[in-house]
Amino acid sequence: MRRVAVIGVGVTKFGLHDRTSAELFAEAAREALADADVPASAVQALYYGNVVGGETEHQLHTGPQAASVLGIPSVPTTRFETACASSHAAFRHGVMEIAAGVSDIVLVGGAERVLNVSTAESTEYFAYASDAVWEQPLGLTFPGVFALIARAHMEKHGTTEAQMAAVAVKNHRHGALNPKAQFQKPITIEQVLKSAYVADPLKLYDCCPFSDGGAAVVLASEEVARKHRKPIWVLGSAAASDWMLLGDKRDLSRVPATERAAAAAYRQAGIGPSDVDVVELHDCFTIAEIIATEGLGLFEPGAGGRAAEKGLTGLGGEIPVNPSGGLKAKGHPIGATGAAQVAEIVTQLRGEAGPRQVEGARRGLTHTLGGNTATVLVSLFGRD
Amino acid sequence: MTEPTLTARAFFEKARAGQLTAIRCGSCGELSMPPRELCPNCHAHSWQPVVLGGEGTIASFTVIRVAPRAHAADVPYAIAVVRLKEGVSILGRIVDMPLEKLAVGLPVRFRPLIAKDLTTSVGFGPA
Repeated sequence: MRRVAVIGVGVTKFGLHDRTSAELFAEAAREALADADVPASAVQALYYGNVVGGETEHQLHTGPQAASVLGIPSVPTTRFETACASSHAAFRHGVMEIAAGVSDIVLVGGAERVLNVSTAESTEYFAYASDAVWEQPLGLTFPGVFALIARAHMEKHGTTEAQMAAVAVKNHRHGALNPKAQFQKPITIEQVLKSAYVADPLKLYDCCPFSDGGAAVVLASEEVARKHRKPIWVLGSAAASDWMLLGDKRDLSRVPATERAAAAAYRQAGIGPSDVDVVELHDCFTIAEIIATEGLGLFEPGAGGRAAEKGLTGLGGEIPVNPSGGLKAKGHPIGATGAAQVAEIVTQLRGEAGPRQVEGARRGLTHTLGGNTATVLVSLFGRD
Repeated sequence: MTEPTLTARAFFEKARAGQLTAIRCGSCGELSMPPRELCPNCHAHSWQPVVLGGEGTIASFTVIRVAPRAHAADVPYAIAVVRLKEGVSILGRIVDMPLEKLAVGLPVRFRPLIAKDLTTSVGFGPA
């Protein structure tokens, strides 16, 4: 297998946009190609994440749609859909294509547009990532899934609403340092704890927002990447799945797919959790960050809530998590999120993250979770 | 071609009549619900339907306050993962129980929730 590097990244500002998801992706892709200093004509394939385009934009076939709007209509392209992990799945496919020697330069990324529909509509569309026969008819929502998970974690480990609130406060503090973030204002623990319940025990400020946005990453073979100013190497990239139905998950306080994907990615990279300097992980809800820090091996099972409360995951802490502001503050355009996380880690490992830079970061990790925890991807990156 | 042991449609027809049905693997004894093709434990295709008692306890629960469009009129409503006595778990709506009294470990009993169009979903009420 050949080595693969990231040589270019681009993201739009996340938040409300009056543009189609394809246009948002195209902006991010143009920025990523400029960053990579490769012409669009050098791109050999496009792998693209988009989730609810069929619902919010009446647009399927979003791979060639995105390629056409970008202006590279003839490259082979495929849309990936693994709920909120879609562009991480697209990224992994691009990595494998280059590692296998099929292509030398691949563009990956994704985009989403949801703020053009009502909250009731987008809540319904996101719920489509749960089972349509057994769970959706009950009125299960995406916050509801993580509320059930949160309750199980609280019962088993004594995790508190204040510990979950600490995650929100930390990620908003980070987001205030990110000019591309949807929310760039710090918040207080009191604000989180006093916000309205969406799905008990999760409150409004435990939830990431609905967002529009796009993100893109240029991947290259070692031969191409060596000519680039600062290639960031992909050390490992793994995917794992788990049961779709919540009733089938034996222990709701854990996300086995995170544990499996992390184990595989660490094995590929030949490193462990203590070798990682900076992490971008899937904090769609505050509890999701707590459980992910445990599943990735950063903290013992059950210790994630206390670690968040102690500030171990903040900038300047033991292991900075979500310096970008995470999904919580940076925003979560679901088709773009996986690629946006890669963009942040690459920026961090290049030492170009400005006020949110994790000093001396050499190795980074991205973790993206799909919907009801049935999909997880984990990738590892290094400066050398 | 063999007939499926239990389809989702058959499950909900039986549920409408008040009966929760699982399947047991004839090869390794694994109990599974809802129906699936292969035993997730031994990958055999050798299921037998098993009628469950419908008694269980709340393993986790939430109260939904922001709902999808189709359920907007129902808020607030409770959804729980219920661990059934026989060892399998299933998601259901909690009905006829005060929301503030809900707790992990609380005993509940299956009851079908039948919509006007006879669509049936899994519910649980007081034990």
